[in-house]
Order: sequence, then structure tokens, then C-alpha cells
Amino acid sequence: MKYRQFFCSVALAAVLVTTGLSYAAPAIAAQDDSTVDFLDDAFYDNEPDVADIGDPLEPFNRAMFQFNDVAYTWVFNPVATGYSYVVPADIRGAVDNFFNNLREPLRFVNTLLQGRFADSGTVLTRFVINTIGGVGGLGDPAGRGLGYGPVYATLGETLAVWGVNDGLYLVVPFFGPSTLRDFSGDVVESIAMTTYYRMADLDSWEEAAAIYLFKQQNRLSLHLGEYEDMKKLSFDPYVALRNGYFQHRKQLRNHEVE
Amino acid sequence: MKRFFTYYRHALLMVLVALLMPVSASYAMPDPTEQMKPFLEKLVAELKKEDFKSGKSCDQCKRIVALASEHFDYYEMSKRVMGKSWRRLTTEQKDQFVNLFTKLLQYAYVGKVEDYVDKKITFKSQRIKGKRAEVKTLLVDANKTIPVSYIMLLKDDKWMAYDIVVENVSLVRNYMEQIRSIMRNEKFEGLITQLKKKIRTLEEERNKEQSQVVNKQETSSTAINVQPSATL
Repeated sequence: MKYRQFFCSVALAAVLVTTGLSYAAPAIAAQDDSTVDFLDDAFYDNEPDVADIGDPLEPFNRAMFQFNDVAYTWVFNPVATGYSYVVPADIRGAVDNFFNNLREPLRFVNTLLQGRFADSGTVLTRFVINTIGGVGGLGDPAGRGLGYGPVYATLGETLAVWGVNDGLYLVVPFFGPSTLRDFSGDVVESIAMTTYYRMADLDSWEEAAAIYLFKQQNRLSLHLGEYEDMKKLSFDPYVALRNGYFQHRKQLRNHEVE
Repeated sequence: MKRFFTYYRHALLMVLVALLMPVSASYAMPDPTEQMKPFLEKLVAELKKEDFKSGKSCDQCKRIVALASEHFDYYEMSKRVMGKSWRRLTTEQKDQFVNLFTKLLQYAYVGKVEDYVDKKITFKSQRIKGKRAEVKTLLVDANKTIPVSYIMLLKDDKWMAYDIVVENVSLVRNYMEQIRSIMRNEKFEGLITQLKKKIRTLEEERNKEQSQVVNKQETSSTAINVQPSATL
């Protein structure tokens, strides 16, 4: 139990620091709220300004990027590749669904906190249908047949809705690209997720870490080769990943109907 | 009176034609999906040809690129990728950049398209705004679905793609930021050096892959009997 308390205090400190920093330096991460329209020339004319994203820690981030790159190339990728040979893709997909389903209650809370009530309904419906009809979330009948597709909602986004700025771009070891705000949100969420560990009577942090690693490896095994492609075709993989992260995130958080 | 009437009728006809002109012009606007569909099918068919993988260097790439240029506007892509710096370049610099960037895109797109072979392309929807269009497709295989959008500009009855958006990440926008940071630190000359370096490594990698494929094909006839039970 001790590690939980430790993590909780770390997370709390992180959130406080984030919010503090973000309020203190609102100019660092001037969020541009314009929605993306690829058919609009403004999308291409309006050049992404590094100041918009805010990467004052670039030297540190680059070092972390290198670190992650080595960890990925020599450990995570070989393990995930081996795993993908042994375990068939549909089982890996089911495992991914299972972990995804466990997260639905968190998404439900976040949609509520963001005032996206229609999405809250979708998330709740998904959770009920997939837990019962999808055998504990292994399948995704709600998304595949019934039109209740996955909903994106994280604590980082909730904080954004509440006016907390990104703070700064952060490359976290073993975790990848994030921002100070979003990463703090992720830490708090993963602590909330430990409720399941208690329900499953897991008490040691080793077990929790092993489950987390397994989940990540499983996810990676479904996305093999993507990172290599990105790296192969860019001049500066660090900038390419940073830009890709922000572009992707922006679209994920654009909840207007297509 | 009769003469006046025919004159009047002519005038009326003229007016009618004039009125109908813009309507028929917009009617003639080709459908972006209708153009993209056979085009992508042709590309994939070309890739499925036997000699593609075993071919030396990038002869096949060139074939693909020539095919692709039918609906890919490399000039427009290069221009957009350069962003604001474009206007400050001389004509020679522009040409040099377009040339090299097209070469890089060959590898980028040929590499991507090679994945298409065992996937299915489905056309989801399209959107037209003036002379621009977005065709949304899905790349589907057993495990996952990747959304790929083609952003296009109408040029002489032809829809020409100038950006590809894969999983919501715009290729042009992504290169743009990289190029920007290089231009800031190393200027145009630095960018050209980096482009050449990148293309060289991609070429080397491709040659290596290709020779591996050739070797495999040569040894495969004998390898079958001694192959360990890899299917375990």
C-alpha cells in the first residue's frame, strides 16, 4: 500500500506544479484553438510556431528521445516482435480491447467533467455492452456492430477544457511524447487505475509494473514498424515526432461531428 | 416582324446559353473519388507485379512515381512544405528543392504504398470546397484500420493531390516543421545537404533490402526441405 501513497503525493505535486507553471507562464503555450480544415489554405500558410508548442526543454527532451529510441530499438521492439510471432493478432487485439475497456469509467468521468454529456452516455453504453456482451471487454460489439465507437477523453484534456495550459512539451522516458499538463493527468489516471489492482488483490508494485509493461508491449505488437517508418522518412525524427504528436492530439480532441 | 422575331429568338438563345454556361461548367467538375479510385487501383496493381520486389535499385520506384505523378502534384507539395521560405528562394533553388524533395517523396510514398498490397482500400467520403477536395479512404487489414486522406486541388479537370493525411497527421505539415527548423539553423544549403544525405541512406537501405529478397529467392528452393518448424 505504501507505494500508492507515494505515487499519489508525487502525482498531486506534479499537478500542482503544472497548474502553477501553466498559470504563471501562459505565454509559453498559447493554445491555438482553431479546428483543422485541410481544405483551408490557412492550415498550410499558418506555420506552426515552436513558441506555440513551447519546447524550452529541447536539449533534455532530445536526450530523452534518444534514450527512448535506444530502449525501443534494443528492448521493446524485439520483445514485441517476438511476442507477435507467438500470439495471433486477434488475441492481441482482444487483450488490447480488454485494457481499453477497463479505462472506460475514467473516460466517463472525464466526459462529464468536460461537459460532453452525449459522449458520457456513449462511454457508459460501451462499458456495459462490452463488459457483458464482449465477455469482460475482450470484444468490442458496441463499436463494431452497434455504432457506439470509442470515445477519447483524458484528464489532460479535462484540464485543458478548464483552462490549464500545456506548460511545455515533454518527452518522458519509457513513455514518449507528452506535455507537462497531459503527463500529470496521465499519472493521476494511472493511480486511479490501481483501484483494479486492489480489486484483483495485487499489492506489490512489481506486479502492477509487470501488468503495465505487458499492456504496453501488447499495444506495441499491434503497431510494429510505425515508428521505424516515421524515423526512416524524416530528417529530424525528434521534430517529426513532436509535430506528429501535436497534430494527432489536436484531431483526437476535435469532437465536432464529421 | 418575322425577322425581328428570329432575331429576338437568337438573343433569347444567347442569354439562355450564357445562363447555362456556369452551371454546365460546374457540372463538368470531375468527381474526385471517381478519379482517385482507378488511379489507386492501378498503383497497387503495379506494385503487385512480380518483379517489383526483386528489382535492382529503384527502377520500379521510378515507374511508380511516373504513374503517381498523374495525380500527385510534387511541385505543389514542395511549395507548401517550404512554407513562407518559398517566396525567398530563387528559381534555381526552387527547382533544386522540388527535384530532391520529389525524390524523397518517392521513397516515402513507395514505402507506404508497398503496405497497401495486402490491405484493402475503402473509400469513405469526400468533401469539395471550391477547387479543393478531400477524399477520405480507409486502409483496412485484419488487425487495424488506418484513415488516409488525400487533399487535392483541381487543375485542368484533374484532381491533383498535394497532401496525404495519415491518421490525422498531415505529411506536408510534418515536413514543414522539420524543414523550418533546418532552415533556421543551417539555411538553404544545409537543407539541401540533409536532403541528399537522407536520399542516399534510403537508396542504400533499399538496395540492401532488394539484394536480400533476391538472395532469398535464389536459396528458397533448397531451403524448403531443411527449414526448421518455424510454423510452431
